[in-house]
Amino acid sequence: MKTVVWLLGGILLGVIIHIGVILGLPAVATNTVWSRVAALGADDKAIVLPVPAPGAPNPLQLDPELSYAVCKVNLSAGPGAVSATLPDAYWSLAIFNKAGTVIYSTTNRDGIGQNLNLGIFNPDQTHLLAEQRIDIADGLLIVESPDDDVFVVVRLAPPHEIERKRYEAALSKIACGNIKS
Amino acid sequence: MRFLFNLLLMIVVALGVGFGLSYYTLGDGRLIGAVKVGPWAAWPGVGASSPDPYTRAYLARTGSLELGRSEGVAFTATTDSDGQPLDRNCRYRIDGTTPVAGFWTLRAIGADGDNIAPAGGQQALRSRSVARANDGSLLLYVSKTLAPDNWLEITGAGPFQLVLTLYDPSNLSGAGVAVQTLPGILKEVCRT
Repeated sequence: MKTVVWLLGGILLGVIIHIGVILGLPAVATNTVWSRVAALGADDKAIVLPVPAPGAPNPLQLDPELSYAVCKVNLSAGPGAVSATLPDAYWSLAIFNKAGTVIYSTTNRDGIGQNLNLGIFNPDQTHLLAEQRIDIADGLLIVESPDDDVFVVVRLAPPHEIERKRYEAALSKIACGNIKS
Repeated sequence: MRFLFNLLLMIVVALGVGFGLSYYTLGDGRLIGAVKVGPWAAWPGVGASSPDPYTRAYLARTGSLELGRSEGVAFTATTDSDGQPLDRNCRYRIDGTTPVAGFWTLRAIGADGDNIAPAGGQQALRSRSVARANDGSLLLYVSKTLAPDNWLEITGAGPFQLVLTLYDPSNLSGAGVAVQTLPGILKEVCRT
């Protein structure tokens, strides 16, 4: 009987350990998507990610059918801006925070078309924007980020493999950085 | 002596339950946070701006570029429709229909996420380049040996995973939660 009580105690302790692991893992993990993107040197510029060859490590789990560009922006230096004219094919954009969470995503099917013109503002900057104390270009799509550290991923789907280079060239021309006041 | 035995037993059970349950819930056993459709499983919360704690832990563990809710949803299969682990020495038939999406891709990966297509070969199948039956259903094969119809060639030996990614899921409310049917994965023959 006493052994059963110890067993139940072990299960209860195990559940507590489990909850601790789940809650603590994001804080202690080292190979996060943020650290991997930070290692690419994509600060304030768009970097086109090479498609991993068969058998090669693919830690970011890139889809070989797509082309990718990433850009890291720190909003403490000013609101972020991402702009480009992309080819007439499916593309999507996602803004990630430091935890690897997608805080915003959209696709060209959402009425944006080929012209990407996005502004990323932290809450203070959004406040200033509402007070018209920050000048922005017309038609800028505004996204508010709770955090200053963000990175942007643009995915582009070349219709055919032969067009990949042209599509990646378009991705490399994405303008990314802080809005200069 | 009995006290020490009980204490040791409790510690072993606690560690087993604590870390075992964590490994299972964040891996393919996915008790919480994941959606399962046949052999396919997805974490619909990975693209949400406020994921639950399990999804946060999953994101920290994988460290990969996940899809936002507007972008799509990725389903992964580690077993066939009968629950048997996918084996590279076997030929699998992917049979059925996919949900409405802009397009989808199918790729085969190893345990480390590396693509297991042959060097210089096609790394993935895409919906628009796949031949379909008259009723719109899919019929494609994943194997090391030449297969009819649509063929995703793989190499090597050992277990593998299939990743089916649905892009531009404007018709998938909840980004994956509403997906009711996905193609079955049927084992045909195995080479010894």
